[in-house]
Amino acid sequence: MVAPLYTTASGLLFHAGKILVCTVGLPARGKTHISRALERYLRWTGVKTAVISLGDYRRKVLGGAQKLPPDYFTLGEKSPETIALREKVLTGCEQLIWDFFNSGGQVVIYDANNGTRERRNAVAEKFDKAGIHVIMLESSCDNEELILSNIRSVKISSPDASIPECALAYRGWDPEKAVADYYNRIKDHERHYEPVEETTWPFIRIINVGEKIMVNSIHGYLQSRIVFFLMNIHNRFRTIYFARSGQSLIEHSYKADSDLSPAGWEYAERLKEFVLDRRAKSLEARGIDPSERRLVIWTSARRRSHHTAWPFLTHSANDQHPPARVKVVERPQMAEINPGVWDGLTPEQVRKYYPDEWVRFVHDPYAYRAPRAESYHDLCVRLEPTLIELEREKEDLLIVGHASVIRCILAYLIGLPASEIPAIEVARGDLIEVVPTSYGVYSQAHHFWDGPGRSSENGGAHGKDEHNFYENYAEDTRGKRRPDGSSVELQADVAAGPVPSAA
Amino acid sequence: MSSADTPAKGVPPLSDQELALVDGVLKDMTEGESEPTISVTAPPDVGTPPAMFGAGGPMLKQFDQSTATSRAISQTATPPRSVVGIGGKVGKPDYSEAKIVLAMVGLPARGKSYLSNKLMRYLKWLEYSVKVFNVGQLRRSRARQKAQQSGKREDHTASYFSHDNAEATKLRDQLATDSLEMLIQWLKEGGNVGIHDATNSTRSRRQKIVDRVSREPGFVVIFLESVCDDPAIVAANVALKVSSGDPDYKDMSREEAKRDFERRIREYEAVYETITEPHLSYLRIKNVGSQATLCHIHGYLQSRIAFYLMNLHLKPRSIFFSRHGESQYNVEGKIGGDSLLSERGLRYARALPALITDNIGDAALTVWTSTLQRTIQTAEYLPYPKLTWKSLDELDAGVCDGMTYEEIEKAYPEDFANRDEDKFNYRYRGGESYRDVVVRLEPVIMELERQENILIIGHQAILRCLYAYFHDLPQADLPYIKIPLHTVIKLTPKAYGCDEERYTLPIGAVDTHRPKPKGGLPPIPTPKTAREYYANDA
Repeated sequence: MVAPLYTTASGLLFHAGKILVCTVGLPARGKTHISRALERYLRWTGVKTAVISLGDYRRKVLGGAQKLPPDYFTLGEKSPETIALREKVLTGCEQLIWDFFNSGGQVVIYDANNGTRERRNAVAEKFDKAGIHVIMLESSCDNEELILSNIRSVKISSPDASIPECALAYRGWDPEKAVADYYNRIKDHERHYEPVEETTWPFIRIINVGEKIMVNSIHGYLQSRIVFFLMNIHNRFRTIYFARSGQSLIEHSYKADSDLSPAGWEYAERLKEFVLDRRAKSLEARGIDPSERRLVIWTSARRRSHHTAWPFLTHSANDQHPPARVKVVERPQMAEINPGVWDGLTPEQVRKYYPDEWVRFVHDPYAYRAPRAESYHDLCVRLEPTLIELEREKEDLLIVGHASVIRCILAYLIGLPASEIPAIEVARGDLIEVVPTSYGVYSQAHHFWDGPGRSSENGGAHGKDEHNFYENYAEDTRGKRRPDGSSVELQADVAAGPVPSAA
Repeated sequence: MSSADTPAKGVPPLSDQELALVDGVLKDMTEGESEPTISVTAPPDVGTPPAMFGAGGPMLKQFDQSTATSRAISQTATPPRSVVGIGGKVGKPDYSEAKIVLAMVGLPARGKSYLSNKLMRYLKWLEYSVKVFNVGQLRRSRARQKAQQSGKREDHTASYFSHDNAEATKLRDQLATDSLEMLIQWLKEGGNVGIHDATNSTRSRRQKIVDRVSREPGFVVIFLESVCDDPAIVAANVALKVSSGDPDYKDMSREEAKRDFERRIREYEAVYETITEPHLSYLRIKNVGSQATLCHIHGYLQSRIAFYLMNLHLKPRSIFFSRHGESQYNVEGKIGGDSLLSERGLRYARALPALITDNIGDAALTVWTSTLQRTIQTAEYLPYPKLTWKSLDELDAGVCDGMTYEEIEKAYPEDFANRDEDKFNYRYRGGESYRDVVVRLEPVIMELERQENILIIGHQAILRCLYAYFHDLPQADLPYIKIPLHTVIKLTPKAYGCDEERYTLPIGAVDTHRPKPKGGLPPIPTPKTAREYYANDA
């Protein structure tokens, strides 16, 4: 449900002007989780966005907690040196925000506690004077269980290197003791904390990670999009799988909307077996009974995609496993990128008939829209409602899609810049598994198929007719190269690490 | 060609020779070196690329015949439905899981009926089954019935609404309960969203609703509270109420009516409790568009509803629709394409600015066009800011793009008849159905609701979909709405619908409207701006 992403003379999108989102909240209330998710979303829609974290900045400038004066965090009276030091950190961090705005940035999410009215006001007034819209984003929790589980999963045992302080400080501790200690530490903050009650600035208050959302005088398109997005995120554990549709009879034509080839049908059967097997294993490893959870499958309305999911809906008599709990949803918005007048043409033909367009396409495969075609940018806009649905889906999800669609969604989940979207490799015969976590995603590709139509490299004899080249530009050509000549490897961009516990 | 539902049986197996032929075609298309076995519609000359899979050439049919073998080795018991030819009908998505009771909360004259109406139109446009159960309508209908039978009129002046009036309070409670029962019954019979349009102003009343709905498995209840503390808006609502022919006030002077209605509001105010119950799922809208509170809003449709309501505003404005000027394809009778304007179309583009400027004067306006040349060309001379939307592009006719209806009918007579039979659900192969267009336009509607004066230079199918939203026209009629060329349609949203004016410029153009083939007159849009005071089925 995103508006067209048009750029105004100032380079800002949506005519929304510049926005500063100030997070407000005690530690362990999920501010960073929310900030990062929002940043990923806005960046994907093309808005230049950055999270600027006060904590990260302080650590960078002053080093870890052990290098700080002892009264840096304690409440009440502080020595003049400490006050000066804190002031220096604040000013420096604010400078980062100005720098980002001045270099063409549109949205800054200022990730800090901003726990007092005075502090918030001081920040807001400064930026408001410069014509920047300020929004307070408060995350509060009155559910002790949620706070504890947040401390446990993020602050104490997080594999993420960006918050080494707590993890380091509690190294070797008994986890439960560490949680209790941290909990008491932040408990002190509560006495000085002033919730956002003033209506001076527009605010969004999220209570218990989305249980309740309050919104005050939020105006403007981008702002209401932010609210809508925040309404839809959750933190229940789930896995998202991606697989390409099977090989179809006429791979290179969009219009023909052809059915699966014999190899494609075989692929579909194999995909079902592999996904169910893989999923059962990973759920069992977490102590979840796979028959308790439903698998939701999304396909496009294109025959090659919908039919690839067909085997999931059938159950043969000689299969001793019980039928899986599966729901297949056909979503017309998930059709592959439309090649317009280039449908069915080979790259050679395009070069011959559309020489000028070809040059522009090769120059910028993300933004360029061939005549009557969609650009990747158009595709992203089309897929945006699907992303919101993806965020809200709580069950495991399998997307049987087209390479172009999978690219856009993966780029969103992983947080790749838009310009790299056309270059993401999505091989047919790989099952991509993505597990969203607080600080990003954990992703892995599993190879399960080697038949005809896997990819152009090993397609050999199948050669050129394997592809709709507009759709598969990345795999066919130099599209996979970045400007510096390196190629994009999915794995390399993914936060590695063990799958975190289901807490 | 037999139905693809039974691929193996009934289809004579293709001979090796035929298969080799098709195979050869595929090879030629991709290699382009050897002489094609079957010639493509137009042999490629310089600047004209070959039309690969158009429905006009023989290739598509040849190809469809060859696919009969593709499923030979599949082991699935029942093959999925396949599309052959130029397209097929696509069923409506399954919405049967959505069962929502949306109960309104608010004092009289706070825009509850406005919001319920608006929401109903939006959700119906997205093909949800929605119905408003207005307790006021039920009360009036029952009273009228009673009056007709017994000749005795019930007293529905303010004292009827007083909580000190024990008898009337009991009657009103009974009405609210009956209305809710009717709503639940309707949901059970297949409805998706039932809007309980009543004041529901006390906690105990709301608790009763929650208790009742919780007895129905799979049903959820959300409350929508409309709060308004802007005296100007309340006064305007009161004025609208007493001046628009409410039967409650038909025997009173306007002054009397106003006094009585204000007294009714005070009776409610005396017992009104705003929603604070922490366990309820609710959405509070303050002064439509200025502040919103959301609590426990979960689920897909619920959050869609919330987002929609958050985007509404009440500022007066107009929405203008115009198709592009007559295009070269219009003249040739072809569909789709990306052709330029005809000479007459260009004249329309030049005449358009004066028409618009005369109409809105100095007011601000934004022009939206599609990415196709004919709309951009039509907007060229308009002295307003312009935006281009990919989502406003014309319905994609897939394999039929660039053909005339006669050509399609000749090449695929059966399919062509199929489309006429159920145009809304028909998806062109490799293209779109009207439903697909509605889904694609949803963000446009959302943005339109947020904006003020907008002029959309669009296409026939696109404007039909948008027009149907504003006038609440059913899906079956939608593809037959008349949106002539060289005509500006001005819609002005009012409390219960849209006012419409049409301005036709005296520049000739071809008529691209194709009426429904058999039976059924094309719908004559009857703008419903008047409030309905009686329930239809009470």
